[in-house]
Amino acid sequence: MVPRHARLLVASALAMSPLAATAADLPVFDAHVHYSHDAVEVLPPADAIAVLRKAGLKRALVSSSGDDGTQKLVALAPDLILPSLRPYRTRADVSTWVRDETLVPWLEERLAKSRYVAIGEFHVYGADADLPNPRRVVELAKKHRLVLHAHSDVDAIERLFRHDPRARVLWAHSGFERPDEVRAMLRRHRNLWCDLAFRSEHGSDGKVDPAWRSLFTEFPDRFMVGTDSYTPERWHYVVEHANWSRAWLADLPKDLAERIAWRNGEALFGAAPAR
Amino acid sequence: MTRRAVRRALAAFALALAGVPSPADDTLAVAFTPDEIAKILAHGPWPPEVKRDPSNRVSGNADAIAYGERLFFDTRLSANGLVSCARCHQPGRHWTDGQARSIGLSPGDRNAPSVVDARLNRWFGWDGANDNLWAQSIRPMLDPREMGMTEAAVARTIREVPDFACRYRRTFGRAPGTDDRRVVVDVGKALAAFQETLASGRTPFDEFRDALARGDRAAIARYPDAAKRGLRIFVGRGSCDVCHTGPRFTNGEFHDIGIAHFAAPGRVDPGRHGGIATVRSSPFNLLGRHSDDAARATATSTRHVAQEHRHFGEFRVPSLRNVAATAPYMHDGSVKTLADVVRHYSELNEERLHVHGERILKPLRLTPEERADLVAFLETLGDGAPVFRHTERGRLECE
Ligand code: HEC
Ligand code: HEC
Ligand SMILES: [Zn+2]
Repeated sequence: MVPRHARLLVASALAMSPLAATAADLPVFDAHVHYSHDAVEVLPPADAIAVLRKAGLKRALVSSSGDDGTQKLVALAPDLILPSLRPYRTRADVSTWVRDETLVPWLEERLAKSRYVAIGEFHVYGADADLPNPRRVVELAKKHRLVLHAHSDVDAIERLFRHDPRARVLWAHSGFERPDEVRAMLRRHRNLWCDLAFRSEHGSDGKVDPAWRSLFTEFPDRFMVGTDSYTPERWHYVVEHANWSRAWLADLPKDLAERIAWRNGEALFGAAPAR
Repeated sequence: MTRRAVRRALAAFALALAGVPSPADDTLAVAFTPDEIAKILAHGPWPPEVKRDPSNRVSGNADAIAYGERLFFDTRLSANGLVSCARCHQPGRHWTDGQARSIGLSPGDRNAPSVVDARLNRWFGWDGANDNLWAQSIRPMLDPREMGMTEAAVARTIREVPDFACRYRRTFGRAPGTDDRRVVVDVGKALAAFQETLASGRTPFDEFRDALARGDRAAIARYPDAAKRGLRIFVGRGSCDVCHTGPRFTNGEFHDIGIAHFAAPGRVDPGRHGGIATVRSSPFNLLGRHSDDAARATATSTRHVAQEHRHFGEFRVPSLRNVAATAPYMHDGSVKTLADVVRHYSELNEERLHVHGERILKPLRLTPEERADLVAFLETLGDGAPVFRHTERGRLECE
């Protein structure tokens, strides 16, 4: 018999270093990965790719302040990485990008140079979405046929759709809104998709919350999961997060689980990236 | 009158005193608003009432306390016979070890917190991997990097060392039996009983706080102006008291203040996220059969604790009592001095915080004078580190 304390140690070791996914595991499309300069420093691109593979990810939507991190990953693993252009040169742009006049030329330059499937993740709230920069970003998305990955409140999402009613928007963290509010938005907008990154309440302890279950059932094609690796340390959570997602997805019918796990991401971004 | 009403009345009284200009005395160099006074009074009174721990049947028992004292300073509970609890929790260093990260049998990942006032915790350790003091006392004995014992080795030592076996009989009313697990739990409970007696004393801040409550001008004046100005930042612009709440200056919960949490290159300390996994699966938690609290009334928090992504990289809000005596700081001892801690909050790297996370934290951009004031305030939270004296009962051999 394994001594009890040894089992304890095993349990905590598991918590710290989650098991790698195997081929039998549900593939996962991670719609919310960042790889900014500080992460690049401690976790070189090849190691970062290894983490994503260990997590059993089918694909990852990656955006990085400065964009270089994203480009390094795409170069190494074009099959795995879906690049998104973050409108931040450094993360300090989070709160200033909407008003920064030097930003749009930088975006245009990047868009001319590399291929992307989305613009984001960017943060914009309320009436700020009507400022010239967010409007330009919507135009650029339209021109280059990119998805907008928006960390926004309901008000800002509405404004983005007013700028371009045919825009495709991936609502980061589903706005940290309650299921009812998310449902109202999904009913109003056919081109709205939702990521569930950095939220836990819909699938705590491998059980799907009833309110979320009914929402997933009503909109089986609109949800996807995401880790949100906003610090370098969070890269060490990607595997844990994929396993956590598999645990609650297992509480849903298989078809629905597969859609949220990866099919919805594939459908939105297409097997072959734009351009 | 309710307690809160009394408090409010006292606060108003203190304000009246502090606010009346009186050129002859300098109590008024720093005056507080009613809101500030209410917040300051919330950091007392001190000391709190002493309560038994219902999960530990020998909590408060004099034989258990003496037994725990013995065990705490004894190196025979370690695999190499060289490490005692007191190696990392030294009485002369306010029950810490002065190291950034403790070294037992081998180097660990975390800074040793003081065990003084530990009885007041809801969660133990930087990650809350235990929910009670006796379980937390078992942990280092079995941790391969700290004391490196097995349960069987601990139980054997207790049975074989005459003084340990004798004290065990005296404390628990029977000889240490063959059930190793049970002996280990009892050892943890004796260690806990001892540590429960380690309580911090009154501090200059407490004198000031009570003077404020009484409206005692002379006593209010004795508290240094720099500390008063620092205190005003603490309860005001700094919002420090949002997490460092109450008489112990901690809400007892877990937060992320943007401290890096790599334990080593390529290895992360998951903080509270790992702690929740451990406490839930621990056979020594308050829901398990080793708790002596039959009603399991103490287990409510453990029953309801839920795993969330934000817990990854969160650490327990430390108490700030005696903080000036327990450098270096943070879960990994990565911050050397109080001045450095204050600089951390002043220059906070917002990039490390999730936009949806700790909204309360903003870089404070303090001036050097303000930083010095905040440090001056933190330094008034010390009780002067009274010298620890071994008890008579702990010293004498048991026969
Ligand atoms: C090698 C150094 C070391 C030894 C030996 C050691 N400790 Fe600790 N102690 C620590 C560290 C480091 C922590 C923080 C642990 C964590 O966060 O997981 C700690 C935490 C604690 C806490 C929790 C305090 C709090 O505020 O949550 C208690 C209680 C404690 N130790 C008691 C003991 C007892 C009793 C022993 C002997 C059986 C002991 N320790 C032996 C290093 C040590
Ligand atoms: C959001 C909650 C929060 C706020 C607000 C906060 N703290 Fe902290 N504090 C913490 C946490 C959590 C730690 C431990 C972090 C770690 O170990 O990684 C900590 C650690 C400390 C320490 C180190 C103590 C030790 O023993 O290691 C000091 C001193 C401190 N804080 C003072 C302050 C001051 C002064 C302010 C206001 C400027 C403040 N704190 C605001 C949560 C907070
Ligand atoms: Zn986000």
